[in-house]
Amino acid sequence: MKWTLIIEIAKALMLARMKQTLIAATGVMFSITMFVALLGFMNGLNSMLDGLVLNRTPHIRFYNEIKPNPNQPIDQSEEFKDKLNIIRSIKPSTSRLSIHNSASIIQNLEADPRVLGVSPKIAAQVFFNVGTIDLTGIVNGIDVEKEAALFAFSDYVTVGNHEDLNQINTVILGQGAADRMLADIGDVIQVTTAQGNRVQLKVVGYFQSGLGDFDNVNSYASINTVQKMLGEPASYITDIQVKLNDFTVAPAMASELRDIYQIDADDIQTVNAQFETGTQIRSMISYAVGITLLVVSGFGIYNILNMMIYEKLDTIAILKAIGFNSSDVNRIFITIALTIGIVGGVLGLFFGFLAGLAIDQVPFETEALPTIKTFPVDYNPKYYLIGGTFSLITTYFAGFFPARKASGVDPVEIIRGK
Amino acid sequence: MPVLEAKNIDKFFYNPTKTQVLKKVSFGIEKGEFVSIVGKSGCGKSTLLYILSTMDTDYQGELYMDGETISGRPKNYLAHIRNAKIGFVFQFHYLLNEFSVLENVLIPGLKLGLHSRDELEHRAMEKLKFFDMQDHALKRANQLSGGQKQRVAIARALINDPVLIMGDEPTGNLDKKNSDIVLHKFREMAQQFKQTMLIVTHDPEFADGTDRTIEMEDGKVIRQ
Repeated sequence: MKWTLIIEIAKALMLARMKQTLIAATGVMFSITMFVALLGFMNGLNSMLDGLVLNRTPHIRFYNEIKPNPNQPIDQSEEFKDKLNIIRSIKPSTSRLSIHNSASIIQNLEADPRVLGVSPKIAAQVFFNVGTIDLTGIVNGIDVEKEAALFAFSDYVTVGNHEDLNQINTVILGQGAADRMLADIGDVIQVTTAQGNRVQLKVVGYFQSGLGDFDNVNSYASINTVQKMLGEPASYITDIQVKLNDFTVAPAMASELRDIYQIDADDIQTVNAQFETGTQIRSMISYAVGITLLVVSGFGIYNILNMMIYEKLDTIAILKAIGFNSSDVNRIFITIALTIGIVGGVLGLFFGFLAGLAIDQVPFETEALPTIKTFPVDYNPKYYLIGGTFSLITTYFAGFFPARKASGVDPVEIIRGK
Repeated sequence: MPVLEAKNIDKFFYNPTKTQVLKKVSFGIEKGEFVSIVGKSGCGKSTLLYILSTMDTDYQGELYMDGETISGRPKNYLAHIRNAKIGFVFQFHYLLNEFSVLENVLIPGLKLGLHSRDELEHRAMEKLKFFDMQDHALKRANQLSGGQKQRVAIARALINDPVLIMGDEPTGNLDKKNSDIVLHKFREMAQQFKQTMLIVTHDPEFADGTDRTIEMEDGKVIRQ
């Protein structure tokens, strides 16, 4: 069948009812615009909120946990090992916080193709001595370059430069901790470690993570500084943080390496399960809203096509009388529906992109999110693809029933009816 | 061989009660004949025409056109036959208002697709010239008067060189002057091109101008 003729007739019918056609296309355009803008905005927020925690959370963290030895002697004795033994008041065995043989573990991990990067860390409990008052806190010893590369450390340093940490005896304080100590940049603060060592540290910056409680307690210094504070050798490390190329393999890899290295390993999914759930539900809601919009505009097209068919019954009857068969008439109306869908869809994608750009300009400044100045928008082409596809699918179905009705018109009934 | 042959056509209406509107209607039309069907309102002549036109398939009996059986053929094939072999002229439904006069004449030709668009346009202009409508070719269909529209509709019926032209009261809705023009054109087509035509009409003057008149009464052919 000659599509040019079908398209020509569809075009003529649409031009004859220009206003309705435009309204239908505008409906599709509006819903696609909203769909794309909504999903872009929602997912921009999602990835920002997830990034808040997930960016800085290692995919796998290795550490030694202080806990009672699960293999108590009584359970191993010949006489009692099959009995139910109850032991009260077990104390943790004298295990070390530091990871044994850390250098070779790091070397192994770095050679693993699944691993993006490895960053060692020391968490040290300290007191900040402010006049007569001691504030408890944690000084995290980090490998500054790796921390910046893998965990976006520099994004959260709001004042000062993270590279200054490479100088010995410098510290970047959490915003909350700095406020409580009234410590300005360049001030020297005194820190007492749990072992009783007193150290003077120079404040070179503040950081703000977006989680207030975290900022009240945590501070960062270089690994060397913390090792020196604690009086430990250069091999002393309490945590090994691993970032993977694909973080979905983290649980499997954590349990595999836990046995190999004989240390504790936590994976990101177990620690932060709630974030993924939240993300999924938020995007589910935005898809639901977007698809609802599309379905509503689909009903608009359905209505307009139905009206058009009632108005054009004569035309349909004449077309059939001069030799157009049912499927030709069907195709004419499907073509009209799809044209409305395509025009509305393309404009909708365009305006959706513009709406995204506009939302991107709206100022959004909050204490909790130092790196965010405007609303975040995700321009992932996926949403445009889904929006475009759905506009075609809904308009096709909106056109399907009216087109079937039109193709079923009996020309004799119409022509005799006059 | 007759161009159109109907054998024992029966037709029933079921709404509101079963009534027989056509009773064993049989007749044939030879090539080149100009035939009119006359009869009182409700005698079934329009019903017969729609059966002959292949648009109404709900009947009993046999129908042959141009040597082929028409009865019982699939709808899409019938649509093709209407396109290629039959030209229609209706009483009210003239043209597609969304298109220009020329396009209206073109559309059945484009649908058939035997000739290129350029050639079809040329042919369409010739048909329009025959009906003295060439100056209106680019006007919209709804800018024409009733008589002009009917002439364009006849031109459209001719575009695919049909074996048969069917008309349902083609002059029924026209005033005397336009009616005369249309009648005159029909006669000219019969004489000049030996066009086979079957026209349902009320108008005795129209019927007098045809080669043969089939008269119907109460669903039966009483004279042919």
